[in-house]
Amino acid sequence: MTTLYAFYVLIWPALTLGVLVLICRAVLRDRRDARRESRELV
Amino acid sequence: MNSLSLHQFSTSTVLLLMFAFYGGTYLLTLGIRKKKEDADAYMVSNHRIGFGIGAASMTATWIWAASFYAAATSGYTYGVSGPIHYGLWGALMILFIYPFGRRFRKLAPNAHTLGELIHARHGSSSQLILALSNVLGSVISLMVNFTAAGALVSVLSPLSFQAGVIIAGVGVLLYTLWSGFRASVMTDFAQLVALMAIAVVIIPAVFFAMGGPSELVAGLDNLTAEQADFFSMDAILNQGAPFFVAVLAYAIGNQTISQRLFAVNEEHIKPTFITATIGYGAIVIGLGMIGLMALTLGIQPLDGDMNNLIPQMVSGYLPPVFIALFFVLVIGSLSSTADSDLSALSAIMMADVYGKNIARGKADPKRMLLVGRLTMIIATAVGIVFASFSLDILVMLVFVGALWGAIVFPVIASCFWNRVTNAAFTTSVLIAMITFCVARFEWLPMSGLTALAFEGLASIGGGIIIALMVFGFLGRAAGLIAGVLAMLALLVFATDFLRDYTVLLASLTAYGTSTLVCVVMSLMSSQRFDFDTIGQRVGDYDQAAIPADEDASHGDLAGATR
Repeated sequence: MTTLYAFYVLIWPALTLGVLVLICRAVLRDRRDARRESRELV
Repeated sequence: MNSLSLHQFSTSTVLLLMFAFYGGTYLLTLGIRKKKEDADAYMVSNHRIGFGIGAASMTATWIWAASFYAAATSGYTYGVSGPIHYGLWGALMILFIYPFGRRFRKLAPNAHTLGELIHARHGSSSQLILALSNVLGSVISLMVNFTAAGALVSVLSPLSFQAGVIIAGVGVLLYTLWSGFRASVMTDFAQLVALMAIAVVIIPAVFFAMGGPSELVAGLDNLTAEQADFFSMDAILNQGAPFFVAVLAYAIGNQTISQRLFAVNEEHIKPTFITATIGYGAIVIGLGMIGLMALTLGIQPLDGDMNNLIPQMVSGYLPPVFIALFFVLVIGSLSSTADSDLSALSAIMMADVYGKNIARGKADPKRMLLVGRLTMIIATAVGIVFASFSLDILVMLVFVGALWGAIVFPVIASCFWNRVTNAAFTTSVLIAMITFCVARFEWLPMSGLTALAFEGLASIGGGIIIALMVFGFLGRAAGLIAGVLAMLALLVFATDFLRDYTVLLASLTAYGTSTLVCVVMSLMSSQRFDFDTIGQRVGDYDQAAIPADEDASHGDLAGATR
């Protein structure tokens, strides 16, 4: 029960961290692509 | 421990935090600023925003200050399942609009607002109804976010509520005014990184500081049977169901979403929406867990105000630096939504009002920019005044909710069904608003045949919500079957029951009435619309303004746009 509730609470910050890493990597890729194509990021 | 007090910052600390936040954000926008911004980029950038920036912007925009407070309140009120019933449905609002969004983008790849698409499909009256609902929604959102800033500043420092409202309003306007949407999406990324990083730290920090999982499990004895039940009917009916009804309406009625839909690179729409769904859900449900923690510990919200729950928990269990981080978290979330609302409002006034209805084919991009910037200044002033005087916006909220519900079917049907007419769109929305008011304000006694008729309309409304959701992902046949089954189930279970739940009855009635009227009027029409013409009628303003001899390659589009 204790483990289950620990998982239930902590899975959300873990997911948040995963999305944060994904977005940061994607933005770096966007930036690289924009430079290669000589256009602005936004 | 059942009463935690709030940490108090000095005036100078809060001012320093706010000036550092808004100053840093402003400096960030200097990197993308152009001396001569163009009107299209001011509204939707270059229609080629990448997956990373797009997903970050979508997530940051959808998370507003109320997301944290309401999720924590839901956790505190409904127990174990409470945060899920707030965050999950809010997240699904992003996901469920995605299949329809792809259709919008396919029909009008160069649009700036959903209203432009509807203008090309139907004309001014339908477009202006949609634009009005978008404007009201964004003004309310601005006011709520500025109010949240004022409330946060006043509870954590000696500064007044009005001071917090004004600093937030001016700060957001300052960094959004010049570059518009481009500034909004650029700063959204930075704001999202900050608020995600803070959420990742704060949630486990509070959890372990309060005693960790063993303390949480021990505290479950403090919960009622309903609160301890993950499948609590109380939580489903009072928190989950009303949100579920609003899933499509919020996304359709919100220009901030469609603006990003038209701005993101078309190939990246799917991953952008899915990532934003997961990101929003994870952050908001996670912070909602702090409400559940407070409930298990038996914490009483200070002054009975549920909005104090998260600040109380952070103040009570963590050192002051975490309170400062929480402060930045809230300011970041409300600012990212407020700058998106300003960008949305400016795009509506630039494209829907000036471009399509005032300039009527002779829009001057420079004048459009002026309209956009003036809109931002006026909207900020209105938001600050409404928030500062704590004006009662309940009637406006009710009205906007009804309008959003009423337009869902006509907007979606107009993009898939070639028989929907302008008259069917406009009439269905107006009649739906009237029936909504009859049910919501009980202009007629809800008993006997009247109540039965409204429960019938509401059942159609419930059926159409399910039908549209299933249709979006699984196609027409599956949507039809699911909708009919849902409607029949509602007819059986809602009869003689739904009349006691006025708000739900009225909302579903708006959906049902607009669907019924729109379908009947469309079937009576012999008109058939050619969807290919939408793409030709909606184009970029700056390219269209280039004389044909200067840029012959854009001549066709320019002619079509005007």
